Amino acid sequence: MPTRPIRVAALAFACLCSAASSAQSPGEGLEIGRKMLVEDNPGELWLDRGKRLYHEKRGPKQASLEQCDFGLGPGKLAGAAARLPRYFADTDRVQDLESRLVTCMVRLQGFDQAALAKSAISAPLSDGSDIESLALYVTSRSNGMKMDPPLAHAKEREMYKMGEYLFHRRSGQTDFACVTCHGESGKRIRLQDLINMTEPAGIQGVVSSWPAYRGSHGVVRTMQWRLYDCFWQMRLPELTYLSDVSIALTTYLHRQGHGAVIEVPGFKR
Amino acid sequence: MRAGWWKCIAASVPAALALGCATFPDAAETRASAEKIVSASFTAPSPQLLKRLEQDRAQRLCSKVEDAALTQEEAAEVIELARTSIQYPASGKLVGNWKIGEALAHDGAGDRIARGVLEKRKENGGLCQNCHALARGEINVGNVGPALTGFGTKRGNSPETAKYVYEKVYNSWLYFPCSNMPRLGANKHLTSDQITHLVAYLIDPQSPLNR
Ligand code: HEC
Ligand code: HEC
Repeated sequence: MPTRPIRVAALAFACLCSAASSAQSPGEGLEIGRKMLVEDNPGELWLDRGKRLYHEKRGPKQASLEQCDFGLGPGKLAGAAARLPRYFADTDRVQDLESRLVTCMVRLQGFDQAALAKSAISAPLSDGSDIESLALYVTSRSNGMKMDPPLAHAKEREMYKMGEYLFHRRSGQTDFACVTCHGESGKRIRLQDLINMTEPAGIQGVVSSWPAYRGSHGVVRTMQWRLYDCFWQMRLPELTYLSDVSIALTTYLHRQGHGAVIEVPGFKR
Repeated sequence: MRAGWWKCIAASVPAALALGCATFPDAAETRASAEKIVSASFTAPSPQLLKRLEQDRAQRLCSKVEDAALTQEEAAEVIELARTSIQYPASGKLVGNWKIGEALAHDGAGDRIARGVLEKRKENGGLCQNCHALARGEINVGNVGPALTGFGTKRGNSPETAKYVYEKVYNSWLYFPCSNMPRLGANKHLTSDQITHLVAYLIDPQSPLNR
């Protein structure tokens, strides 16, 4: 279980940040902190754990996930995450990596869907959830490959267009849409850099790096968590785990970032 | 690049080849289906809070996809909606206390929802520091909006300037339809009273913003 080394790394990172803020220009210190830790990404520990969980016989049905179909056929992991979200006939839904993972954990292993959803996003500085580790392992099997989710099925195209619409949809007491914070380069909310997701370099950096080790939380985080957190900042209600809004936005972002070379675990502030 | 690439994706998608060019649902269909999933994808501690997801007329006009521009009529409508939204303090006094305003401008908390709980405080923070540089020398400031450092020194503290700042903070779309700056008074994020304190923080010569 990944415990000790991670806390140490998280602490080291926190020290770097506070030391940096009194010195150079905003952002620069953070950048140095990021680089120092990227070389020794604690997320690797989650990756090992995810690999073990994937092959282990678990759940009420005492089965492994080795027969899970992520879109390229049962057990075919290499390159599968690069082609998600996509339409799955057996669920008649467009699914992202995490919703597909949950489908397999329910159908193959007999886990309870509601219980999985409830524990999917772990507490900061915890050992992380099984889903976080598994999502990282499965994605890592597409490392070095290019993001290229399909738009062949009508439901995939519908999801894509809904995602595009939602990315630009303003609401709530802050009048924010995603594009308010992610539509221009060189912008910051306080000291946090805002990635411009309307230009290729920005969005490609995003879709190639999740799941990611998040220094300030000391755990690996997934795209589902990231979207939840942005809605929180927007002061909107809580995004339901694996909801259609989360799938639509992920479909849009992954398609906009097509061509990005996947390299996980990413490393984030 | 933006959105153009998908208009004919036949090259990368065999199924689309057969169709010549894949068809996407049009804007009206997309809106209808997307609004449906919005109402099914969120939870809140009370049904009242789910109303935050609904768009008002101005937000709808300001939610153009990609580079689509606002038409002149639409801009005029957003401005008109802003004009009618603004309420002035009963006292008629637009300039409050800069000390209270200073704290507010640096406060980014209030009204967020996490793990089934609403972050309820007596009053919300003003959020200004998230997007604007404020007093000289402050480092932890955003740059989504222009620096407000020395605002009063440059613009003065006449009644006209006070009125401008009050209205700008109450409903920023009056002066800049669909700006990225939230309509903090019109959306009830801030009260009229709070806004008068922010006005003082921006224009009072004693305010740290102007020193
Ligand atoms: C108020 C500003 C704001 C809004 C609105 C916002 N975000 Fe974010 N977003 C941020 C910030 C700040 C970060 C980076 C946080 C950090 O540094 O850890 C971020 C990070 C992200 C990331 C991860 C980027 C990376 O590092 O790879 C994604 C993806 C993302 N946002 C998507 C969205 C989507 C989709 C929406 C709309 C539903 C949205 N955001 C709305 C502020 C915002
Ligand atoms: C999410 C970002 C954001 C927040 C929060 C925000 N602003 Fe702004 N603000 C902007 C942007 C962008 C502009 C420039 C476009 C415009 O004028 O609307 C702006 C413009 C302004 C202007 C006009 C400047 C000029 O030269 O005339 C004033 C005054 C102002 N903001 C004050 C405030 C105050 C006070 C607060 C907090 C109560 C605040 N803003 C909160 C983004 C923001």
